[in-house]
Amino acid sequence: MSYGLIMADVRRGLFDERNLDLVGFCNVLNIDPWLILPKGAYNVREAYFKRIIQVEMGEEEFINPLNAVITVKKVIEKFGDPFALIFSASSSGMEIAPYVAGYLKSPIITDVSGYQKESGTLLKSLYSDKVFASLKIKGEGFFVITVRSGSFRHEAREIEENTIYEKLEGLTRDERRRFLGYIEEEKQEVDITKADFLLSIGRGVGTKDEIPLYEELASLLGATISGSRPVIDKKWLPKSRQVGTSGKTVKPKVYLAMGISGAFQHVSGMKDSECIIAVNKDPEAPIFQYAHYGIIADMHKIRDRLIQILREK
Amino acid sequence: MNILVFLKRVASSQEEELKILGEGEAVDLSRLPFKLNDWDNYALEEAIRAVEKEGGHVIAISLGAKESDDVLRRAIAMGAGEGILILGEEALFDPRLRAIVASRFIKKEGFNFDAIFTGVQAEDDQFGTFGGYLAGILELPYVSMVVAIEEWGKGYVLVRRELEGGLMEKVKVSLPSVLSIQTGINEPRYVSVMGIRRASQIERKIYESSLYMEGVISSIEVLKWSYPPKKEGAKILPYDIDGACRELLQILKERGVCQ
Amino acid sequence: MMKKGIDEDWTKRVFACIQCGKCTGSCPESAKTPLNIRMVVRRKQFGSVSASQHVWYCTSCGACTIRCPRDVKPSEVLIHIRSDLVESGRISTSIQRALENSLIQKNPWGKARSKRSEWALKADFQIKNIGDLREKRLLFTCCVEAYDPRCNVIPRNVSKILTYAGIEFGILMEEEICCGNEIRRLGEKGLFEELRDENISNFKKYGIEEIIALSPHCYNAIKNEYGEEAPGVVHYTEILWRLLKEGIIRVGREYKKKVVYHDPCFLGKQNGIFEEPRNILMAIAGTELLEFTRSRENSLCCEGGGGRMFYDVDLEYERNAKSRVSEAQELGAEVIGVACPFCLVTLEEEAKEKGIEVKDISEIITEVLL
Repeated sequence: MSYGLIMADVRRGLFDERNLDLVGFCNVLNIDPWLILPKGAYNVREAYFKRIIQVEMGEEEFINPLNAVITVKKVIEKFGDPFALIFSASSSGMEIAPYVAGYLKSPIITDVSGYQKESGTLLKSLYSDKVFASLKIKGEGFFVITVRSGSFRHEAREIEENTIYEKLEGLTRDERRRFLGYIEEEKQEVDITKADFLLSIGRGVGTKDEIPLYEELASLLGATISGSRPVIDKKWLPKSRQVGTSGKTVKPKVYLAMGISGAFQHVSGMKDSECIIAVNKDPEAPIFQYAHYGIIADMHKIRDRLIQILREK
Repeated sequence: MNILVFLKRVASSQEEELKILGEGEAVDLSRLPFKLNDWDNYALEEAIRAVEKEGGHVIAISLGAKESDDVLRRAIAMGAGEGILILGEEALFDPRLRAIVASRFIKKEGFNFDAIFTGVQAEDDQFGTFGGYLAGILELPYVSMVVAIEEWGKGYVLVRRELEGGLMEKVKVSLPSVLSIQTGINEPRYVSVMGIRRASQIERKIYESSLYMEGVISSIEVLKWSYPPKKEGAKILPYDIDGACRELLQILKERGVCQ
Repeated sequence: MMKKGIDEDWTKRVFACIQCGKCTGSCPESAKTPLNIRMVVRRKQFGSVSASQHVWYCTSCGACTIRCPRDVKPSEVLIHIRSDLVESGRISTSIQRALENSLIQKNPWGKARSKRSEWALKADFQIKNIGDLREKRLLFTCCVEAYDPRCNVIPRNVSKILTYAGIEFGILMEEEICCGNEIRRLGEKGLFEELRDENISNFKKYGIEEIIALSPHCYNAIKNEYGEEAPGVVHYTEILWRLLKEGIIRVGREYKKKVVYHDPCFLGKQNGIFEEPRNILMAIAGTELLEFTRSRENSLCCEGGGGRMFYDVDLEYERNAKSRVSEAQELGAEVIGVACPFCLVTLEEEAKEKGIEVKDISEIITEVLL
């Protein structure tokens, strides 16, 4: 059976849960999931993988796209062409996948969130999830994809036979790009990933002048304030308060989203919250597809009324 | 320092509901205005800042139909020294084909450059592959999601790239290299209509994309366009403000986060 | 081709300035913000190129220009300075966004152009496309009124009254674009010209003979800054007053409220329409019309104009809207009547908390019409 070569999504010693989506993708396509991993002790559920190839490279070297080309070429040289090269649509996968694809001139589709068996097409979002395209890959040879987090993990299955282990050694390094270190965001007083109740505001807030009243509402509710990218970009809230792909991933008990339309980049950072409540004046806003409760109204009016009720208490 | 910046003209779709034509044959963009891709605007600004500081020249390049000249004029008005259109029927949809055409163009026309800048992704197709794919073909070092350029050194550049959860990575790359630029890296300057009018007087070179497409065809095909799957919708609270607020507070109480 | 006025280089007039300070004395911003309009003119006399960001505090109310004894037109000098900043690209992101939106979607808020006439679809009667009419009378909607759900009622109400009065009119639907009044005042001359030219070409295409402007800002641009090619324009309060006076529409119900009328700068002091809005209010039985101490030519600007809607003021000071609402309260007014969407939005923001209503005249008249 042909194999899907999964490049592990690892960062700072952690094997990300997103890797399960890559396993699920292989299972859906009915190809063997093979994993390539850097050196180190990762918490991998090995029974998911037909073969695990550990590369003699440290993590930072491994996720350097220039070295990834060297690794992938070596695997192909040793084991033959895979059916597909599979990455997660994360900061690593988004960087490495197109680079490797370009080097090998392979077809590429990114941010894949579905597979239609009958037509053999891959589903990809465009225009911030406003439309989807069913894409067919043409021609010979393998292809490269990145998989959207959360879209295939429910399909991940353990295999029945034993996992085969391999080591990949004697790899050169491309010195033209070097990792110099991680930079943490400035120490912040509040960690939104640890909050039970987030009041999150988005583009709909309109102007900076509105922010203090949301802060007041948050304090009356006992919530921690956070925001989506547009609010952070405008510096209306500090970067440490950003929820979404390029900010924090949060899972509070309650996520109250006000004036957030629900762009994928934001939703991916909060969709696993226990309870999502969305306030938006646009009944068509995508956020309502993810929310458990929705209020279709002007966020400022809801805010003002809530403040009034809470003050009266 | 010479920097090539690739720019894409895209439909401005943020405020629109997109319509799919027929049985999923195409997306109707006929009523939408077009603009420069947001990410590319940041890339262009960053390139111009780099040459303002280090000296040199920015060349703005766009692949697409003749209307893409709009974004080139805008780029010249902003501070690019040159604008080049690789003219095709439309912007090529397949990211592989697009990058191959760009790489052949760069090689064939013999550009001398220290860096290539692109936006991290385009607002329309959101492939996010152009810079990386191009770097791969050209076998040049690559960094994506660049949120700061810290130092242009002799033969190298120090950058920060954005990772998840507010974490950043500091990277040193040798030149020439390809950088894909993230939004928020700078505050792009305003380009006035009169500035664009003045820029129109500077000639933009046109190259036919067919010159760089020999023996290569699109490797992906759209079989069908569809709307996103409707998930099980939210329970909508009452339409009157007061009722909705009181019900909301009740839910918060049940969830144990607010008395 | 142009009407006398806007293409003339007013900066040459700065040498007529005697630095008397009447401009600063009349400026609604000078006392509380760093903007000093007399100094702006002074620096221009010296040809100083160091354009100060303080110019963004100007609301374009026009008081300085009206008061100037030497016809220096300080407000135009200020627009020139803003132009220099715009051309240099050094402007705040919020202003930049308003300008870019006006270039792409043809309105400063960046709302979809394809949704411009949605307000008309929400009406319970038919509003016609100008192309389908014999009489070429155009109702010109302001961007705020087209997109802001709060202000949507203004075009709907006026349409309803005109329909009821049997006056044929139409709208440009999605072809209508921003009038450019604030865009010119933000100093984006090239963009203003583009918007003006596109509007004029539409006026020509449909052979429009008369325009009813709903916003004083659009009224001002078309009347004073569009040149000879633009058709005649009236403000809707002028039409409403004529219809009332001639008995074509009749006020049936009472409106038993104390209403204080706030003169919009672009309707009142800049274009001399003071009586019509007052006459309409006085024609309503039960309405008691009150006057602000600063009214008519001296009306205090609400700070909604001149692009101030798009400038994030970073200094802490009391908004004029707040003092305006306080004065209304002291007068015992229950309603502040306005005839401008910008005044409506800015005043209502402050009035919400004080239990005072802010209503457009079209809203009041619709309530009492027979």
